[in-house]
Amino acid sequence: MGKATVIPFGPQHPVLPEPLHLDLVVEDEKVIEAVPQIGFIHRGLEKLVETRDYNQFIYVAERICGICAFGHSMGYAETVEKLMGVEIPERAEYLRVIWHELSRIHSHVLWMGLAADAFGYESLFMHCWRLRERVLDIFEKTTGGRVIFSVVKVGGVVRDIDDAMFAEIKRVLEGIKDDYKQLCGAFLNDSSVKNRTVGVGYISPEDAFGLSMVGPFARASNVNNDVRCLGNGGYGKLSDFQPVLDTQGDCYARVKVRALEVLQSIDIIEEMIAKIPAGDIAVDVKGSPAAGAEAANLVEQPRGECYYYARGNGSKYLERMRMRTPTSQNLAGMATALAGCDLADVNMIVLTIDPCISCTER
Amino acid sequence: MALETTFVPIELEGILPLSAEKKAQGWRFVQIMAVNTEAGIDLIYSFMKDGLLENYEVKGLQRDAVVPSITGDFLEAFVFENETHDLFGVTIEGIAIDFGGSFYALAQKEPMTVISPAQKAARDKAKKVAAAKAAKEAGTGGEAAGEKAELDAKLADMDPEKAAKVRAALEAKMKKEAAAKQAATDEKIANLDPEKAAKVKAAMEAKAAREKAKAAEAAAQKEGE
Amino acid sequence: MGAFKLGKMTFKSLFGKPETLLYPVQTKTPPSGLKGHVTNHVTSCILCGICAKRCPCAAIEVDKQTRTWSINRFRCVQCGTCVRECPKQCLTMEPTYTSPATKKYLDTFEVPETPKAAANASEDAKA
Repeated sequence: MGKATVIPFGPQHPVLPEPLHLDLVVEDEKVIEAVPQIGFIHRGLEKLVETRDYNQFIYVAERICGICAFGHSMGYAETVEKLMGVEIPERAEYLRVIWHELSRIHSHVLWMGLAADAFGYESLFMHCWRLRERVLDIFEKTTGGRVIFSVVKVGGVVRDIDDAMFAEIKRVLEGIKDDYKQLCGAFLNDSSVKNRTVGVGYISPEDAFGLSMVGPFARASNVNNDVRCLGNGGYGKLSDFQPVLDTQGDCYARVKVRALEVLQSIDIIEEMIAKIPAGDIAVDVKGSPAAGAEAANLVEQPRGECYYYARGNGSKYLERMRMRTPTSQNLAGMATALAGCDLADVNMIVLTIDPCISCTER
Repeated sequence: MALETTFVPIELEGILPLSAEKKAQGWRFVQIMAVNTEAGIDLIYSFMKDGLLENYEVKGLQRDAVVPSITGDFLEAFVFENETHDLFGVTIEGIAIDFGGSFYALAQKEPMTVISPAQKAARDKAKKVAAAKAAKEAGTGGEAAGEKAELDAKLADMDPEKAAKVRAALEAKMKKEAAAKQAATDEKIANLDPEKAAKVKAAMEAKAAREKAKAAEAAAQKEGE
Repeated sequence: MGAFKLGKMTFKSLFGKPETLLYPVQTKTPPSGLKGHVTNHVTSCILCGICAKRCPCAAIEVDKQTRTWSINRFRCVQCGTCVRECPKQCLTMEPTYTSPATKKYLDTFEVPETPKAAANASEDAKA
């Protein structure tokens, strides 16, 4: 046994897209303990709710995160609708689900590219991002933006998708599916991927539940807390929704869960396009939330469950808006997964949590 | 199965037994948050099980209150407890991983407890609305006051320039009404004194014309908005 | 298990045409709904100021005295609120991006006086 040494990891590190700092207590090559620290990019977006009225805040909510942008605007709008007792048209619910699942595909494929880059498989990374580009092109055509869409408003959505565009989305998704299955083959069967992921960063189902982990990180340890099962909004219209679960609980399982969720999202979008009803896409929302009224809501984002809370104060401005993002819930799980791993595996484990620090700090 | 949310008030002393109970019953920790209100800081603890999201609220926490940490039961709460301490200045005792106030790198201490002018305006407006409602409920005696308060509340929502204009218009209207009343009484007097009548009448007419012009101007300005 | 699972895709991209464009030489045609920049068709603008009021980032300024409508493109987030809220539909979102600049500037549109607006103005003057 060697002497314990503390190695700082981050906030600037090649594998990290965002500033996360870890104090790794290392003995020889083994990590004994890891203490995560965040807090480098707190922007005070929750405080901004006081200077933007509830219709304007949606554009702030979108900017919490560049990848879950749609999820945040949808979650915020759903919470305010709940607060004010607004029923949105069915077509808007379907459109929201379609865009949300598209952003899940884009988020997961982006993440898979980053993971491939982290274990040194550059060409796999480029193929992933090449596929993701087609999803971004769909966004560009349907919403007018590639990252920030601004298509959700309190009371519905602001843009409709016509049948010709739906046909094109279906065609593009079919094309993605073929290429994507080859990518999955590389991710799930290639020995160079397996050597880096199988058995690394194991989390038992008990730990995963005890640490209240969320998202694909928990689902890889056989803990089902996928909020989509509860059937909020348009998800209630799905004929059958079974979350993707895995029992292995290591990095390989997390890659697998995300890989399969992309195929599941494509199926959801196809089902939604087949079932979407005609009608209005938005209702007019008048008035302001009552003083002291409260609403809480959960939305399953690509990275996991996200909690929203809103409190009104009788004016057009909300008293408080709170977003609890999946990464803050997963930090304790990440520290647990890191304890006992090899120093060289740290980057792989940190990435499989898919940390989004700017979400966490807002 | 659909998502159900409940809001339950609890006391500060009830936090630790609550978290122990939730842990024993297999609930999942969701989050801790704080709200800065005028009566103090509200803490909200959320737990979830089988589609039921329960939010426990500790209301009106004072600055000197010490909150026990629930990291003994739910380790993952350390993120939220450090955050609540850094942003709201709530003292939380016994956090498993305590950063001692350096969790977030902030330019200013406890930024979420600063009351911005926008928030103050919103709160004042809410108070006025509440006052108007109370005055209305108090009965006919308070009606005028209630109306005034309601009007104030409405005006608070507009931008100051416009509000001033609306106020001016309303004042002109009230003046005009008063003038009309005066004219009626004056006419009675004039009837008594036929000699004076012509003079008074001319003066009255001039005044009325002036008032009318004023009201028209106010109305035009309002339309111009 | 096995290596080189990506073989088929790799060969396809070796002999296929590139996914990228030679940017300054070739450019992508923007889709029609792209949120590029906001312009004002000044002939129908009535300078009501609703766009400036609804803008979440205070990028629009409306001056009734000098009859100008100006937008700070460096503040604008292309959310499209002004386009939706405009009562005269004189604002549109054009699908081209504005070019980068070394200094921040305001884009100002002169709004000509329409006969109706002129009539209103004279009425104002009379009162």
